Amino acid sequence: MSDLKISGLHKHYGAYHAVKGIDLEVPSGEFTVLVGPSGCGKSTLLRTIAGLEEASAGTIEIGGKDVTWARPRDRDIAMVFQNYALYPYLNVYENIAFGLRARKVASDEADKRVKRAAEMLGIAQLLQRFPRELSGGQRQRVAIGRAIVRDALLFLFDEPLSNLDAQLRDDMRVEIKRLHQELGRTMIYVTHDQIEAMTLADRIALLRDGRIEQLGAPLDLFERPATRFVAGFLGSPKMNFLPATIESGDVALRDGTKLTLPAGRKAPNGQAIILGLRPQHIAKAGASAAPGHVQLPSTIELVQPTGSRVQVSMPLGGSSITAEFAAHEVTAPGEQVRIDIDMTRAVLIDPQTDKVI
Amino acid sequence: MKTVPFHRRKETKLALRYLTAVSLVVIFAFPIYWLFAMSFKTPGEIFAFPPVWYPRSIQFNNYAVLFKDGDAKTVGNSLVLASVSTFFAMILGTIAAYSLVRFKTGGENLAVWIISQRMIPPVAIVFPVFLLYVWLGWVDTYIGLIILYTAFSLPYVIWMMRGYIEDIPLELEESALIDGCSRWEVLWKVVFPMARAGLFATAVFTFVFSWNDFLFALVLTRTEVATYTVQVTHYFGGQSNFWSKIAAMSVLGTIPVFVTVATLQRYLVRGISMGAVKG
Amino acid sequence: MAAIAYPDRNFKYWLISPAIFLLLLIGLFPLIFSLVVSFMRVTMLETDTSFAGLLNFIQLFHDARLWQSLAHTALVIVIALPIELLLGLAMAYLFLDRMPGRQILISLLVLPTIISPIVAGATWRLLFDNRYGPINQIIGWFAGYPVAALWTVNPRLVYPAIIFCEIWQWTPFMFLILLAALSNVDRSLTEAAEIDGARFWRSFRYIVLPAIWPVMSIAILIRGLDLFRIFDIIWALTAGGPGTMTETISVYAYVQGFRQFESSYTAAIAFLVIALLTVIVTFAIRRMGLAK
Repeated sequence: MSDLKISGLHKHYGAYHAVKGIDLEVPSGEFTVLVGPSGCGKSTLLRTIAGLEEASAGTIEIGGKDVTWARPRDRDIAMVFQNYALYPYLNVYENIAFGLRARKVASDEADKRVKRAAEMLGIAQLLQRFPRELSGGQRQRVAIGRAIVRDALLFLFDEPLSNLDAQLRDDMRVEIKRLHQELGRTMIYVTHDQIEAMTLADRIALLRDGRIEQLGAPLDLFERPATRFVAGFLGSPKMNFLPATIESGDVALRDGTKLTLPAGRKAPNGQAIILGLRPQHIAKAGASAAPGHVQLPSTIELVQPTGSRVQVSMPLGGSSITAEFAAHEVTAPGEQVRIDIDMTRAVLIDPQTDKVI
Repeated sequence: MKTVPFHRRKETKLALRYLTAVSLVVIFAFPIYWLFAMSFKTPGEIFAFPPVWYPRSIQFNNYAVLFKDGDAKTVGNSLVLASVSTFFAMILGTIAAYSLVRFKTGGENLAVWIISQRMIPPVAIVFPVFLLYVWLGWVDTYIGLIILYTAFSLPYVIWMMRGYIEDIPLELEESALIDGCSRWEVLWKVVFPMARAGLFATAVFTFVFSWNDFLFALVLTRTEVATYTVQVTHYFGGQSNFWSKIAAMSVLGTIPVFVTVATLQRYLVRGISMGAVKG
Repeated sequence: MAAIAYPDRNFKYWLISPAIFLLLLIGLFPLIFSLVVSFMRVTMLETDTSFAGLLNFIQLFHDARLWQSLAHTALVIVIALPIELLLGLAMAYLFLDRMPGRQILISLLVLPTIISPIVAGATWRLLFDNRYGPINQIIGWFAGYPVAALWTVNPRLVYPAIIFCEIWQWTPFMFLILLAALSNVDRSLTEAAEIDGARFWRSFRYIVLPAIWPVMSIAILIRGLDLFRIFDIIWALTAGGPGTMTETISVYAYVQGFRQFESSYTAAIAFLVIALLTVIVTFAIRRMGLAK
């Protein structure tokens, strides 16, 4: 049984078409992340699901009920906002209990639930404080507490971690993942951060320009992207894209360098393509190339250490690419190295359609 | 050219500024002092030539007479009229402002019309309203004036509360909607508490405007509901004026306003700036 | 804003309708009523509701007293408004920087603005009293001989009296608004100008004035309109006298309506005033973007 089912959803703002025909079905208990660049429509989609925006066309079903025209509070949903949306004139306890009071839940029942939620989020000792006395991370927890205390069918998160600093963000991400495991509720999570998407999602819906570009498990999208956009969006550092042509089973780069395609990889001869290589799949060459790998000499241009890894820029096929080596494999620019490219992981893209072949 | 040491220049400037400032305050405050002083003077002191600059003793006889003769009742009338009308104007005006801000009801045209109503001269509308009230039997009644004062205060309340409501983060209301509040509950539980400071400031000014009104009261009250502003003018004379009564009445009618504004002046800067200056 | 789900579609109308209803009472109703009555021949003595065409309006044009009252009103505006503005501005500059007791001084300065205009008029009536008023006494000190000027009766003194009282009451209002506006001017702009060599007037004209102009123009509009409808102060000091010398448009309209009982004629005046002002004010509001 799917907790959320969206069919043919459109949203217009006057002449601007923000959401262009979305179909999405989310099974019970799943954590779905809506991710994409700014302006892709992910927040609009979430707000339409919540009932804060009116759909221009299409239907929304939550828990099997058609809620397309229902009030937000009749949709059995809970939402966590980017700016926390805490009531400054109420203390933490009352903030969390707000929804329960609005629905006339009995005092002792409400008390139990509030305390339970506070325990779960580690803020039980803050219940008498006011929002202005709390740190950013604490406020976010209170906002989450307010959502989970209502036991709704669907949980919506609108970029909840965007306002936190990097360290805090990592901690909170873990919290949210743990929360999902404990509660087992269906969660829809909007973010522009692909790392959040990859780590939190059971399924990712990558949005672009008001449409779902690809829907699937994180690893699916990462290893088998459907389009160039998906390939380029996920993964850090970004995938390298090199224009090339297929010449008798080899990928011929612009400057003539030939990279052999692994056996079993078919591509029409003579076709112009774009070759996609992830930096993680370009390594410092070992003794010999494994099947499907190609080894080449190159010169290091730029070195950017990131701790346990180092990002290295070098020329290939007339363009500059980025590779990711282990920390001490490279020392300085100008160094000559031999690189090993894993062509079994390479992605071939049709430049006309931007789809992966 | 001999240069004055820098720190001396600054001090002289400050001293000069301070002197000017204090003189200005004395000039502006003097008439009010005179009014207050007059209210405590004995008839002998009032009709003294040359004028007596301060009363020898503070005697409350002038005030006692007001209470005895029933003049003081008019201050009570003013209180009822101003506070009740302010109460209703604040509620109706704030929810109307909410409708304008959040739903853009009526678009710009409605907003322009509402604001323009503030600029209508009372004298232009008092005549038709008077005739209407005669027909309704509302002349010299509480209800008649309360309705008029409420209506007349609305444009100001709506204009001011618009700004305060715009400052409330939308997410607070959206969150409440999702959590289970109806639209009305969002108004009472989120919007009004969040706009508290603005409500306060606007209410004070609305109260003062109504409290100080003269023309409407002059036309629409007779004996039952006369306000203190009308009552004061009863003691103006062509040849001589009933000074003690005028002064005491004026002071009675002014003290409530002074007290209110003095205690709340921190919140009122924005109200005085008519919301024209943000923050 | 947030969408309104079907069930709540009419919420926004419910919210605004009580206010609109009341506003129609003071907004639309007087306008229509005045228009209708102005086409009749109604006076308090005879209720002749026959159609009189533009009779009343034609009479308006020929009414010397009406035009004089407009001239009186214009006189008050033209003299009082600039003085209030300049004086208020000067005072705002005076109080702009810190000084001991600034808060208290400002609170005292604001007192005239919050008392009723009638009380203000009454106060100055006291002050201007020819025998017992302190003003004459103070003038007498400077002049060296006793002065018993009849401020509220002498044709040469009535306007100064009215204008003094008006300026006394409302300059603090301008002062407060301009003080707030000046406080909001970015200091770094004026400081940069000072380093560049600009003296006060140049800095004021090119930096400060443009910055405070939005607020200042609203203040001028509000005060200008308030001055147009001035009634209480004049009523308290001179009641339009001597004769009709200080009769402004509001006073004249009041007299016509409630002393002469010329209902239809008053309605014509009222309609004209409302219509004219609405046009001017609507134009001003749209121009200044106040409704946004």
